Amino acid sequence: MNHFAAVFSPNAVLSKSAVRILIAMQVGVALLLWIVSPLVLFPKPGEVLGALGDMWQQGLGGELITSFYLNLEAIGLATVVSLLLAYATVMPFFRPVVALLSKLRFLSLVGLTFFFTLMAKSGHQLKLSLLVFSVSVFFVTGMADVINGIPKEEFDLARTLRMGEWRVVWEAIVLGQADKAFDVLRQNAAIGWMMLTMVEGIVRSEGGVGTILLDQNHHFRLAAVFAIQLTILMLGLLQDYGIGLTKNMFCPYAALTLERK
Amino acid sequence: MGNTAYSLGQTLLRIENVCLEYDGRPVLKNVNGEVRDIIVPGRVQGQVVGFLGPSGCGKTSLFRIIAGLNPPTSGRVTVNGFDRPVRAGEVGVVSQNYPLFEHRTVLGNLMLGAKQKEKNSQAARDKVMALLNEFGLGDKFNLYPAQLSGGQRQRCAIIQQILCSEHFLLMDEPFSGLDLLMLEKTCELITKVADMDDLNTIIVVTHDVTAACSVADHLWLMGRDSDSNGNKIPGSRIVKEYNLIERDLCWQPGIITTAPFTDFVREVKDEFRRL
Repeated sequence: MNHFAAVFSPNAVLSKSAVRILIAMQVGVALLLWIVSPLVLFPKPGEVLGALGDMWQQGLGGELITSFYLNLEAIGLATVVSLLLAYATVMPFFRPVVALLSKLRFLSLVGLTFFFTLMAKSGHQLKLSLLVFSVSVFFVTGMADVINGIPKEEFDLARTLRMGEWRVVWEAIVLGQADKAFDVLRQNAAIGWMMLTMVEGIVRSEGGVGTILLDQNHHFRLAAVFAIQLTILMLGLLQDYGIGLTKNMFCPYAALTLERK
Repeated sequence: MGNTAYSLGQTLLRIENVCLEYDGRPVLKNVNGEVRDIIVPGRVQGQVVGFLGPSGCGKTSLFRIIAGLNPPTSGRVTVNGFDRPVRAGEVGVVSQNYPLFEHRTVLGNLMLGAKQKEKNSQAARDKVMALLNEFGLGDKFNLYPAQLSGGQRQRCAIIQQILCSEHFLLMDEPFSGLDLLMLEKTCELITKVADMDDLNTIIVVTHDVTAACSVADHLWLMGRDSDSNGNKIPGSRIVKEYNLIERDLCWQPGIITTAPFTDFVREVKDEFRRL
């Protein structure tokens, strides 16, 4: 089968170099389309770069750092809260609680702002609590599903090794699913960035990249909007890479179980 | 009486009137069975029981009860002469796909089993390494289970359970999906593990009648009784036991090619069909 046919064949397996070439070509085509696109609403790369330079001089870097730390704090807290809640589902008492929390992911953040405002003591705390809530409801759903999907025989294996039930939880769930916890974190850390811009739009007290994005959007400065979006994308990709790297460091076995399908 | 001189010693494992019901429906009914220490003068001789039965007859349910993983509705299973029901961990379990903790290395997995018996880490490690070398896995201690072949994984799972339970091992369908060569190797492995200690007892749950006969000293056939009209009565029990030592059909190399063995397998298969 030639390479051209292979990339359009279902379940075809490509070599690493072929995948790299494929990605490079697709990125190249996307860039070319961007450059030559006749759409006026689509700012050109030069315009985007120019807007990025201008905003950088006006303090975009500082706003990015504010947003990055807020997101990091929120993801850290959401991870701890969500993991504890998900692990707590081993006890029947907590299952309905977690199931209810999971359902709250359908709620709109805007509608919850009032309640969180009453509870929060500062703008930062309000943004943080909104973010922790919005990330946690997704995180806990994903992690509870992971725990629910553990085969019975993994628990049996721990029991046949004379482990008590808490040790079974530690071995089969906490340690045994650590790699999957990283995967869930990876997905939800991305949701964090998506929510962040919304939260910073709702609570503007500390500024942040979300506030700038909304301002630029409000004034139809599309080049600036594109520049901010691209910056967030780059930061998100970096974060994704970082989490992946951490996963590989702590869970080297995870890559060994991945089969190409 | 067979040609091999042997005697039966203490009871190692006893199944007493085990009944199991799911939602009022009987699955197991008065299951009784016993494994006794086989004593052969001048050599170490473990026990291997082949446990046969048609699909859906409750083999897995009994398997889990013997392993101490599930309690029966009534009756009990005892091991080592204890006057109490068996507890999880006292009988090792090697399931069909040889589960191991994927997040631990081979050594890490085996240490989990070894440290249940040996609190001194160095002594536990020495015991693990000795067994790994014994089973040809000495150079694999640092690998993760995902890096092992099926056969290596099987041996690793067996060592792990033997380290923890010490003498009892339940194997669920160890011959399933194996080619002829691997099947022979698995039979050799079972015999080797059994004969590592006089008290070692392996119960092999399988559908493979020939393989079970080739490796076992006793066979248990599980099934349901029939009423006068030939309808199956709910609730399985061990309906027939065979002593292969009495028939002089075990512990002999090349026995499976002999006519008496072939006749015996046919007899068991005929009985199996009636279950």
